[in-house]
Amino acid sequence: MSTVAPPETGQLTKEQLLEAYRVMRTIREFEERLHTEFATGEIPGFVHLYAGEEAIAAGVCAHLTPDDYVASTHRGHGHAIAKGCDVKAMMAEIYGRKTGLCHGKGGSMHIADLAKGMLGANGIVGGGPPLVCGVGLTARVKQTDQVAVSFTGDGGSNQGTFLESLNLAACWNLPCVFVIEDNGYAESTPPAFHQAGVDIAKRADGFGLPGVEVDGFDFFAVHEAAGEAVRRARSGAGASLLVCKVMRYYGHFEGDQQTYRGADEVKELRRTRDCLDAFARRVTEAGAVEESDLSDIDESVRALLDEAVAEAQAGPHPGVDEVLTDVYVKY
Amino acid sequence: MAQDSRVGIVANPASGRDIRRLVAGASVFGNADKAGIVLRVLAGLGAAGVRTALMMPAFDGLSAALERQLHAHATAERHHGAAPLPSLEALPMPLTGTAADSVRAVELMRAAGVSVIVVLGGDGTHRVVAKACGDIPLCALSTGTNNAFPEVREGTVAGLAAGLVATGRAGDGALRRELALAVELGDAEPELALVDVILSAEPFTGARALWRGSGVSELFVACANPSAVGFSSIAGLLQPLPRAGGRGMHVRLTDDPAEAHLVLRVPLAPGLLAAVGVAGFRTLELGEEVATAPGSGCLALDGEREIERRPGEHVTVRLVPGPLTIDVDAVMRHAARVNATRMHPPPE
Repeated sequence: MSTVAPPETGQLTKEQLLEAYRVMRTIREFEERLHTEFATGEIPGFVHLYAGEEAIAAGVCAHLTPDDYVASTHRGHGHAIAKGCDVKAMMAEIYGRKTGLCHGKGGSMHIADLAKGMLGANGIVGGGPPLVCGVGLTARVKQTDQVAVSFTGDGGSNQGTFLESLNLAACWNLPCVFVIEDNGYAESTPPAFHQAGVDIAKRADGFGLPGVEVDGFDFFAVHEAAGEAVRRARSGAGASLLVCKVMRYYGHFEGDQQTYRGADEVKELRRTRDCLDAFARRVTEAGAVEESDLSDIDESVRALLDEAVAEAQAGPHPGVDEVLTDVYVKY
Repeated sequence: MAQDSRVGIVANPASGRDIRRLVAGASVFGNADKAGIVLRVLAGLGAAGVRTALMMPAFDGLSAALERQLHAHATAERHHGAAPLPSLEALPMPLTGTAADSVRAVELMRAAGVSVIVVLGGDGTHRVVAKACGDIPLCALSTGTNNAFPEVREGTVAGLAAGLVATGRAGDGALRRELALAVELGDAEPELALVDVILSAEPFTGARALWRGSGVSELFVACANPSAVGFSSIAGLLQPLPRAGGRGMHVRLTDDPAEAHLVLRVPLAPGLLAAVGVAGFRTLELGEEVATAPGSGCLALDGEREIERRPGEHVTVRLVPGPLTIDVDAVMRHAARVNATRMHPPPE
């Protein structure tokens, strides 16, 4: 999946709108499909589904090239897809097969593809921000115009690593964008219980960085704000904090009973806050794309997912003789 | 004097943190700071004899910070002659985290019979409140970005003035009838703007705040203040009009140098000065309705892209009477004249 940097005006071409839709639809279908397949017990380990939050991954990564880097969380499938990772290889990885992106060794929480600038999903809460500081420093030393973006949750925004990264990125003027996906639950705990101030955007002020808050269900809002943050980083003006307010459709992990949510909370969310429905309605009403363009994409994405699951299920497991490969790097 | 006067407080936790932090020189207005302002407003209200304040519950840091500050205030040594704070009641309402919360809060405040609503927010917040408040006077305090409508005003005195209005001791001339712009778009529900209505060519609302000077074709303003920040400054710098003076303005803008009669450099946002081409302008009288040129793109209300116009949709804009606001300076001058702050009897 290619990601193309948009023109300066902030206006999107038809191709870019369709690409954004394709990214979001692919993420949605991937996650919905995983929800079904995981219930069969065939997939090892845990999965943490991104469904509902697609506009953030799509809106941010639309501004990134293959030379830019992203670091993700345990809820990383969306970022991987938006950054251009191969969908079939991702599915195979989640199924623990040799044909996966990490040869079946990492699973859902370590999905990565360095060639595509995807540093990986990460089981360590708050683990991403320091990594993108490293990328930012490399870019400065090598004098490239690369940008590094980290995705962290509302819970992760309390981690020392996140705050230290803001501090370092500000001190060293690093080309980083710190995205917070505030979905209202740190596992099962809402911010009122775990977050002093409950004002993540304001935390940037403490480091002299700009902090912005946008509606994470609105692709265009995320896209515009992320565009400015990325442009700022790329031009050497430094880092920024982008807080996207959103909610997830599924639990913290598959199997989560979600007793901490309202009885009809998810049902209402799916009905009233669906970034794909909203996007489709707006772009067709504006006359920018045809409904048939979108349904063509829906169809091809579903076919892709069918193939991905079938091929993953048929894929070979890594053998015992491979237990120690890919553990250490040979120089 | 009204014995059981109640005042509503709307403090928008979402104001002052949009994209203008990235593209202009704006800073984030923190929610702990807003809580501090609410505390000061409560102190002023209490001194004016208001016993009850109603507030929207906020599940973010604003109410947590406010609770802490109220506790500290209650346990601190009481100053000689200080009045108790009004009791603060949270409105019984669920929160959606959207502008609908402010509307719902104002509706509940009206039902509860508040005599004044103190608003902490930017132009957008005040716009939303004004749609629902009817003739309940607003004390408009700025915690947003451009703040063309609300004023930068210290909370203690604002609270005192609002309290004097609420308890019927503000005298004549305390209230100002503002102007507003009524916007009708197709058969959708009519909208209201307190400062400006802008037609932009940008097809989608994006990050809401309108900060690009290009692609804007028409501007309507309810006030033309030359010292304002935002698109209304274009009108203010063309021909200043007094606030609530019964007249507004309609300006046609253009990106084409050949069409522009003049080009102005104006402050579109804090720290952001841009050139805008003016093709023509004229004043609007109260009640006058203008049909905009056909086209598509966004309608921005009070500086925020709110509505995506479908191709062919008709938009009309009309200058109408707006909400009542409290003229804090007028109230305090009156208070001085009638010794409203004198205490009977003097404290021991």
